[in-house]
Amino acid sequence: MVKLSFISVKLSKALLVLLPLAVLSLAALSCVAPASGGGCAGPGAQGWSGFANYDGILYLGSMNGEVLALNPSARSERLIFPSERDGEWVLRIKAPAPSGGMCGPLGCAPAARPVAIYGTPAVAADLVCVATYVGDGGKVMAINRSAPGYDEEGNPSWKKQGEWVYPRGQDSFIGAIVGSPVVLEDTLYVGSSDGKVYALDAVYGDKRWEFDTGGKIWTSPAVEDGVVYISNYEGRLYALSGQDGSLLWEIELPAAIASSPVVSGDTVFFGTFDHYLYAVDSDDGKEKWRFEGGNWFWATPVVKDNVVYAGCLDHSIYALEASTGRELWQFVADSPIVSTPVLLDSLLVAISDSGEMYVLRADSGVSERTVSIGYSVMAPLYAEEDMVYVHARDGGVYCIDVETGVIAWEFSSVVD
Amino acid sequence: MAELWNSIILEPVLNSLIALTTMVAGNFGVAIIVLTIVVRFALYPLTVRQTRSTKAMQALQPRMEELKKKYGKNQQKLQQETMKLYKEAGINPLGCLWPMLIQLPIWIALYQSIMQALASTPENLLNLSQHLYSWAAVGQAVPLNEQFLWLRLSQPDRNLILAILVGGTMWVQQKMVTPPATDPRQRSMTQMTTMMMPLMFGMFTLSFPSGLALYWVVSNVIGIVIQYFVAGGWGYLRAPSAPKPGADGKAVPVRKLPQSQQESPTIKKASKQKKGVFKR
Repeated sequence: MVKLSFISVKLSKALLVLLPLAVLSLAALSCVAPASGGGCAGPGAQGWSGFANYDGILYLGSMNGEVLALNPSARSERLIFPSERDGEWVLRIKAPAPSGGMCGPLGCAPAARPVAIYGTPAVAADLVCVATYVGDGGKVMAINRSAPGYDEEGNPSWKKQGEWVYPRGQDSFIGAIVGSPVVLEDTLYVGSSDGKVYALDAVYGDKRWEFDTGGKIWTSPAVEDGVVYISNYEGRLYALSGQDGSLLWEIELPAAIASSPVVSGDTVFFGTFDHYLYAVDSDDGKEKWRFEGGNWFWATPVVKDNVVYAGCLDHSIYALEASTGRELWQFVADSPIVSTPVLLDSLLVAISDSGEMYVLRADSGVSERTVSIGYSVMAPLYAEEDMVYVHARDGGVYCIDVETGVIAWEFSSVVD
Repeated sequence: MAELWNSIILEPVLNSLIALTTMVAGNFGVAIIVLTIVVRFALYPLTVRQTRSTKAMQALQPRMEELKKKYGKNQQKLQQETMKLYKEAGINPLGCLWPMLIQLPIWIALYQSIMQALASTPENLLNLSQHLYSWAAVGQAVPLNEQFLWLRLSQPDRNLILAILVGGTMWVQQKMVTPPATDPRQRSMTQMTTMMMPLMFGMFTLSFPSGLALYWVVSNVIGIVIQYFVAGGWGYLRAPSAPKPGADGKAVPVRKLPQSQQESPTIKKASKQKKGVFKR
């Protein structure tokens, strides 16, 4: 007994000195996220680009900062990627020089600032426009979609053949970009983490106007009838003139806006962080109705035939009457719905965060079939004819036949 | 296990922190400070108990040294005499261990909550959604405004101010409770430990989110304040760091503690109270 107590004393003494050190060190190593993300807060910045389709070629940003042009025919034939004769290419966006890094008593070492692509690329004539997220900074890049430039050493060099970057200069950045760029006619609109909405000349990359919302923007703009609708994380929704960026109206909500807005008819739909899906008048921002879910409406809602289909992080997909907000049906998935669903004729295709794809009847929410990808999916879905394209978190691109539920082909977008 | 931890410990702390942000006008920096203060004061009785036990054990150090000299070769006898000494002084040897162990999960949860709430990347923000309650105050605060004074709380503070504050406060706090050792080997080890932690955390501050460093600073300052009032003064911070060598060049053990380190009336009272417990 004496010995046991004596050991306790020794242990107490040792712990007094070592425990705080050990605990905090362990917590620091296992839990603290460096500035780029990671640790106990979750994964670091990797991106979740969707697909843009032009002339049968799919453009997307991979999870290691590359822009890819995929030809579905070449992929289904399992040709070596990139199959140049089929219009395929890959372009790695070089990580810019770091502005800071990890510092210690012996000085500062450059920190890794990987390029992530969250926004779905936008096609403007011969260019495919990509918005990047590089630590705190971001750029918009326009790449020749048929043949991105390469330098003499075979390295990609995208400043050829009419390609441009905004802002110009290797060390110039705007805020990191999470939302997708939107191109309408010859203007590109994009929101940035620095709180500004930028309107750029889509052909030359010159700035036409900018509008400072004063709050971080992580969503995509919606452009309809010459009006740009954009939200920020200060809980404000803005309607701006597409022509000159002048403010038409703005509204303030009790919570920040989680999803990108979508416009249908005279109504703007979006979800907020206090679990509501809002419908406001596109002319003046006046609230028409709101619907409460069980968590955030993160995915961009899809609207068709007076029905709003909204994926929610409470694992549900809601179908609401667009004019009244009345619930038509609710489908409960196995995990949160992060990815924006897609409509194919009478079918609604949605995918959960765990990679379970649901093919539902759009009028009733009845499940026709499910397909398991097996990997987390956060990128928006894309559909063409009867095929649905999925960009999963494992870097895989999956082409799924909705009619049969068969994975027609799959391809790893993380190219060595 | 992870889910149990999240639902019982992490999520209550995380949601309280975010709700608190709404209450302090959306200022996450102020919320971190307030929650750190609240948690430290909630754990005040445990901290006091731990401080008192530590102080009481330190007060016995000179007598322990004597016992070591006397019974150094007979370990069994030394253990018996040591325990007898603790018994006489009314000290429970585990007195400073349990309070620390109980506090541990709360500190780790606070630590993780700050990291999760900051959600520096879109992926982190989505991850956060799975840990939030449906309280209006939580929904209205997310995503948090990371600006506080000159700091961006999700980013490291590139200038040295916060690193110096973290390292400095940690060094003061450690110095206050670390008695100068008599044995040269033990002394150099103590000195190294006292310097290592502040240096390590000072360096962490330069590469980890400043929201976390803010928590370290506040926590350290409160620790210093508690230490000052409970132990009665600056403790070993004002005491000589090492015994002065005697005329023969050998180190002379410090036998008499500085006034502030001698058993305070509070400790005496605590010792008296504890005697009964120990007897059981």
